[in-house]
Amino acid sequence: MDIRDIPPVPPLAAATGFEGLSKIRRSFVLAVRSLWLHKLRAFLSVLGIIIGTSAVIALMAFGKGSMQDALEDIKRQGATNIVVRSVKPPDEGATASRSFVASYGLKTLDLTRMGTFGDAISKMVPMRIFPAEVRYLDRMSNGRLVATTEDYAAVNKLTPMSGRFLNDEDNFRKLNHCVLGAGLADKLFPFEDPMGKSVVIRSQEYRVVGVLADRMPTGGTGGSQAAEDYNNDVYISFETAKVRIGSTVVIRTSGSRGGEKVEVSQVTLTVDADFETTEGREKVRAVGNAIKGMLKEDHLREDWAVSVPLDRLEEAERAQARFTSLLVLIASISLFVGGIGIMNIMLATVTERTREIGIRRALGAKQRDIIIQFLVEAVVQTTVGGLVGLTFGVILVFGLPPVSRWLFDTNLPAQLSWQPMALSVGVSIVVGVVFGLYPAWRAAKLDPIDALRHD
Amino acid sequence: MAAIVEVQDLIKNYYMGDVTVNVLKGLDLSFEEGDFVSLMGPSGSGKSTLMNILGCLDRPTEGNYYLRDRDVAKMSDNQLSEVRSTYLGFIFQAYNLLPQYTVVENIELPLVYQGVPLDHRTKDRCVALAEMVGLGDRLDHRPLQLSGGQQQRVAIARALVNDPQVILADEPTGNLDSRTSVEIMQMLTELNKAGKTIIMVTHENDIAEWSRRVVRLRDGVVESDLRNEHPLGFR
Repeated sequence: MDIRDIPPVPPLAAATGFEGLSKIRRSFVLAVRSLWLHKLRAFLSVLGIIIGTSAVIALMAFGKGSMQDALEDIKRQGATNIVVRSVKPPDEGATASRSFVASYGLKTLDLTRMGTFGDAISKMVPMRIFPAEVRYLDRMSNGRLVATTEDYAAVNKLTPMSGRFLNDEDNFRKLNHCVLGAGLADKLFPFEDPMGKSVVIRSQEYRVVGVLADRMPTGGTGGSQAAEDYNNDVYISFETAKVRIGSTVVIRTSGSRGGEKVEVSQVTLTVDADFETTEGREKVRAVGNAIKGMLKEDHLREDWAVSVPLDRLEEAERAQARFTSLLVLIASISLFVGGIGIMNIMLATVTERTREIGIRRALGAKQRDIIIQFLVEAVVQTTVGGLVGLTFGVILVFGLPPVSRWLFDTNLPAQLSWQPMALSVGVSIVVGVVFGLYPAWRAAKLDPIDALRHD
Repeated sequence: MAAIVEVQDLIKNYYMGDVTVNVLKGLDLSFEEGDFVSLMGPSGSGKSTLMNILGCLDRPTEGNYYLRDRDVAKMSDNQLSEVRSTYLGFIFQAYNLLPQYTVVENIELPLVYQGVPLDHRTKDRCVALAEMVGLGDRLDHRPLQLSGGQQQRVAIARALVNDPQVILADEPTGNLDSRTSVEIMQMLTELNKAGKTIIMVTHENDIAEWSRRVVRLRDGVVESDLRNEHPLGFR
């Protein structure tokens, strides 16, 4: 065949504005092919990125999951609640012999005063708590006897499974009605329906008018509030307790007897506010401070404690923010290390492919073409690394909780969210650009003549 | 015939620390369109340096270089790259094919950097060139699956793909046995007969005999410049 019969060089494409795009696409194909030649090396060089990305995604998910868990817990307790409790003053314990009956804590009078706060407080639930054995026939279970009012169920988000919760009439008429927690009902009435049966509490008989549905216990995630397990409680009316138990409770401790006189163990106030807004939070705090001020004036001793779950909510939110920033730090370190790995390999690749660079330059590649080629190669590596890490991280998030339940019997709450995923993959891409730039620049700056002579 | 390559008073110095090495000492040469020139000379004579400058891989320290009226000596790196991809074809002693590419992909490489759209017309041209150099049955082979002579033929096809004004061959037969060398030289002669301008560096006299003009360099100046009235391929 003669040279004159060869089809001519096609004309340069008319400018469409997409030349850069097709050039990038071509470099992309080129990069994938070059990387495919050294699959294992490419994999090893992005291993840092893979591990970094998957660790970030998994840690973020687990961190967020457990935080969410804690937050849910606080919200279950009621984020707009204020809890005022009676506390035994420290000096009272040390000099118990001074008086047989230790009298301390909130008084009914305090309740009346709190009632004057008006609209700000939508619900006020007093309660008294006694340790108690509950018996039915020959079955017995230890639990907590809680004397309270109708609103208790709403404030603590309790719902009856059968029957009803205590009502105003029980309270007003001082009826001997009681409501059983789910766990307690299970223990006392394994085979029967507890409704209408009589149980014995502190030598008095009470009729079961309701059984509560199972409720998740609130965790004692630090702070002043102890964990509460509602499932072993038995509830009677506040006024009923006054007449049937009285205001003095005798608690036996080894070797000595001590009586305690506590009129009200605890009051839970629900503030009419929205805790999602700043104003709502301010309102809750303001009411809390007002109550503290009032109690400070009226009580001679520090025999009370005010705890605002909202504080814990905010503390948890702060902890979450700290955790997130710490994680971002770890992520940046690991991705930085991963980036150094990429740079290392890219520099080695440039040295190894010096001759190829020389050939390309001789055939008309501009410095820009060489930069694009190696940069795209680095970015393809880190992007694929980021995506593999993402997949691996998601697998961890779904795979680890069952394993930990099976091995250690612990729950690992996890919550995936798109922000850390998008962020870590995005950062992987940026790492490719940043750490690929120098090797690519080195490649482009090679002298074509020296590069061609290299072997 | 018009001069397609013209260098005037070409000087090239290399600076190694304090020492200045004066490689080309004011060369004046002009090559006509359609010529077939051999550049010869012992090592250190400056023929490789001249070849690099002619190939737009290097710039002279002083002097002018006109590639068909284009003043190449003052061009930027980017512009030189464009000149290489559009107007020049390279054939190297070591073939310099890219091992990861097939025959056709190697041939189309200059067009890639020229910015020609890689559609069926480009492909047709590359395939036709591969067939012309006798590799029509090895289009999808990689360089390492080919013999040295075949690789050099791919390189020739690659040098032709952008329809260059000048083909620069740097010892094209240096790595080949004598029989294959003859094949390659025949092929170059055919191209020259078809009108291609070829400038070839060689240090073998029997290879230089294929060309129409032999320029000998020594110590950076032209030692002799002779016309070969009866090139081997034209007898």
